[in-house]
Amino acid sequence: MRTVGTKTHFGAWARSLVAATAAVLVVAACGGGGSGGGGSSKIKEGGVFRLGTASTIDSLNPFIAFQSDAYTTFEYIYPTLVQYTPALKIVPDFASSWKTSPDGRTWTFTIAPNAKWSDGKPLTAADAAWTFSTILKFADGATANSAGYVAHMKSATAPNATTLVLTYSQPVANVLSQVQQAPILPEHIWAQYATGNGKALKTFQNNAPIVSGGPFILTKYTPKQVALFKKNPAFYGPRPHIDGFGLQFFQTTDAEVTALKSGQLDGVEVPVPPTSVATLKAAHFQVRSLPGVAFDDFIINSTPDQQASHKELLNPLLRQAFDHAIDRQAVVSTSLLGHGQPGSTIIPPATGQWSDPSIKPTPFSLATANQLLDQAGYKMGPDGLRIANGHPMSYTVIMPSDIAGEYGNRTFQILQPDFKKIGVQLNLKVLDPSAAYDALTANNYRNFEISMWDWFPLTDPDFMLSVLTCNSFEVWNDTGYCSKAYDTLYSQQSAAMKPAQRVQVIYQMQQMIAAAKPYLVIDYPDSIEAQSSHWSTLPEVGGGSFNSMSKLPMEGVHQL
Amino acid sequence: MRGADYVIKRGFFALVTIFVAITINFFLFRVLPGNAITDLSRVPHASPALRHALLTEFGLDKPKWEQYLIYLKNLFQGNMGISFANQQPVSHLLLADLKNTIPMVTVGTVAAIVIGVFTGVLSAWRRGSPPDHISTNLAIFFYAFPTQWLGLMLLILFAGILPAAGMSDPFLFTAEPFWQHLGDIGRHMILPAATLMLTSYGSYTLVVRSSMLETLGEDYVLTARAKGLPVRRIVWRHAVRNALLPMVTLIALELGFIVGGALLVEVIFSWPGIGLAMYTAIGQRDYPMLQGGFLILTVSVILLNFLADLLYFRLDPRIST
Repeated sequence: MRTVGTKTHFGAWARSLVAATAAVLVVAACGGGGSGGGGSSKIKEGGVFRLGTASTIDSLNPFIAFQSDAYTTFEYIYPTLVQYTPALKIVPDFASSWKTSPDGRTWTFTIAPNAKWSDGKPLTAADAAWTFSTILKFADGATANSAGYVAHMKSATAPNATTLVLTYSQPVANVLSQVQQAPILPEHIWAQYATGNGKALKTFQNNAPIVSGGPFILTKYTPKQVALFKKNPAFYGPRPHIDGFGLQFFQTTDAEVTALKSGQLDGVEVPVPPTSVATLKAAHFQVRSLPGVAFDDFIINSTPDQQASHKELLNPLLRQAFDHAIDRQAVVSTSLLGHGQPGSTIIPPATGQWSDPSIKPTPFSLATANQLLDQAGYKMGPDGLRIANGHPMSYTVIMPSDIAGEYGNRTFQILQPDFKKIGVQLNLKVLDPSAAYDALTANNYRNFEISMWDWFPLTDPDFMLSVLTCNSFEVWNDTGYCSKAYDTLYSQQSAAMKPAQRVQVIYQMQQMIAAAKPYLVIDYPDSIEAQSSHWSTLPEVGGGSFNSMSKLPMEGVHQL
Repeated sequence: MRGADYVIKRGFFALVTIFVAITINFFLFRVLPGNAITDLSRVPHASPALRHALLTEFGLDKPKWEQYLIYLKNLFQGNMGISFANQQPVSHLLLADLKNTIPMVTVGTVAAIVIGVFTGVLSAWRRGSPPDHISTNLAIFFYAFPTQWLGLMLLILFAGILPAAGMSDPFLFTAEPFWQHLGDIGRHMILPAATLMLTSYGSYTLVVRSSMLETLGEDYVLTARAKGLPVRRIVWRHAVRNALLPMVTLIALELGFIVGGALLVEVIFSWPGIGLAMYTAIGQRDYPMLQGGFLILTVSVILLNFLADLLYFRLDPRIST
């Protein structure tokens, strides 16, 4: 399964937090803050939308959860300060407005007045301040999985019920995208667990029915089977048109698509396999294939300390040659069945302004690749393999099992014969994701040679850029790339408060990576979703219509 | 006294085997490449501090031998630990999974046994005839099918007729009446149980056929025929009873595996049982869940083997003499 705001299968965050196409479709009906938008008098109210997913909810406790649907659940049952629109604009949610101090270190949010939790208790800025303060307090322990929400934050206070003040130790460019991810928890339920070392915060299971402040209340959750959400009458925002929705968990996309086709579901979450698109369209389902923000990549070990047996991988000429040997068009048409675009830079074009348009996909040319390898001095050996540093150019390609089954094997079958034509042997080694990452990081990145994987970056480029920093070693870094110059630029973009200035730094960083080539970006797969034609189209926000970036899709969907 | 000796000896071996299995369960998953915190520590902007916090929380920062002693101590106190993935007690999680697994796997296995015995007897009695050829070839045909492929084919064939996944209609906000709920579970169970039945009945057919052929050649069967006893009586009362002895072992082993679930079947049909739980736990390197799940599996297989030994002792006089 291709996933997540991160590496495939590294779950949680991922799938949801992706950026996407500027698919402005349908948002009007969801009304970025309106109550269903255009022609509301004609909207048919009620009904339960049945959604299938190949992800799962691993825990209902935000300090434990890891899987993407858990985070989507938090998005719908808890307030967040802001949210994204399908056009990837950040708009109000629980905060109606916000302002920044001139030095960029203080952010003041005005909070929706007179809001209530589903149990009738007041929902105020104090709940938000308590949530952020608690995450800060236990950031090295019990709340460590949420520490990203409060990066550089010094304090969170609520001078009154409708004002939240967040102070930072330095200007932070992406405060809004950070706080967008943070579910605000009911202090009156959770405060009793935030004592001592905070360990109790992780023992609280937060079972359904959950005291909720979002548009829906989670009324029932049966692990590995279903989660049922009922409309929350106490919600501070626009009322959803549906009475509720259900989320059924599937282990395979085949079963999921079969259930949709046989009417057991009204929609399925991304990713719908490209192979199912034609049959679903033929059966009159709405199928959307929109430019996605995920990308598939070919990783070349970039640590200068790598073993002598493959140290030639650091040679820029070799990297250029490998880049030219990837037939991106063939991969898109064969592995993705045309549902994607050839890849170029690590910030996908679908994220909008952050992607550097001057970086183009490297053209496929085996002649150029051969020429570059000749130039590097790697002469062809008797068995058709070039010799580099005294050994044949034969490399192991580590691939995680979750992409191997579908996209990965097909793509490798395209790459392998082309690389053979330039005198390079690629040997596939499939491992499960946990073992694959450990294989990459083993011996401080010295051992591995090449890998193929994918990324589902967050909408804001900060996270994807952070992956290549030296600080990300053994946490996210999967290339062994480490550059002080790059790290300096990373810090600059983090603190650049003017978007134009930040864009320039981010372009510079992408150009550095495009030149150094720790990643050869192969393609950007489309985000494919399918749903019944008996319902209004769910808008996609950041690569999917059901994720933790926005409440708008389920608020706006209605029967036709 | 011979009987008591036999039981004690077998019981002792069963206990030793369980202890060895417990030990292997501990080390087996820790020698797998990858580790428990690789997944869980990968959230955006994760830091080495998160990895350290998780290591400490799960006790993985301690030496292996110390972890092993803690594991043994907890186990002898009936504590299977807390799942790394969701921080819930493993015993509660596994109990919930077992409740889902046992009915489905039992239906599939019992159906396989019944059909296997029936077709095996039929094949042996009509050996060399077209029904024998058809039955034997069908048994081999289904036995050779990869479970996941057959499951997917059934899923596609019965799309829209039978539920594709789960164990009940999931989108009911209010509880349905008991009998209706039971019927709903039954409908959801058909495809996974049928997959299990089809892929496993063949082994019973072949074992029973072989055993029956041996039995049918015995003198007492010839005597029965000479006495003019009806065919059905000869087959079912004289031949089958004796031919089923090898089946005791096979059935005991299969029943032991019931609690292990049918991993592939549960994954294909999203059946929320123990097989699916193990599949998920392996990907997450959730050591406590894996240890707990495999402990239940090994203990049940060993105990049912022990039971088979006792049954053999009772059924086969050759063992006690």
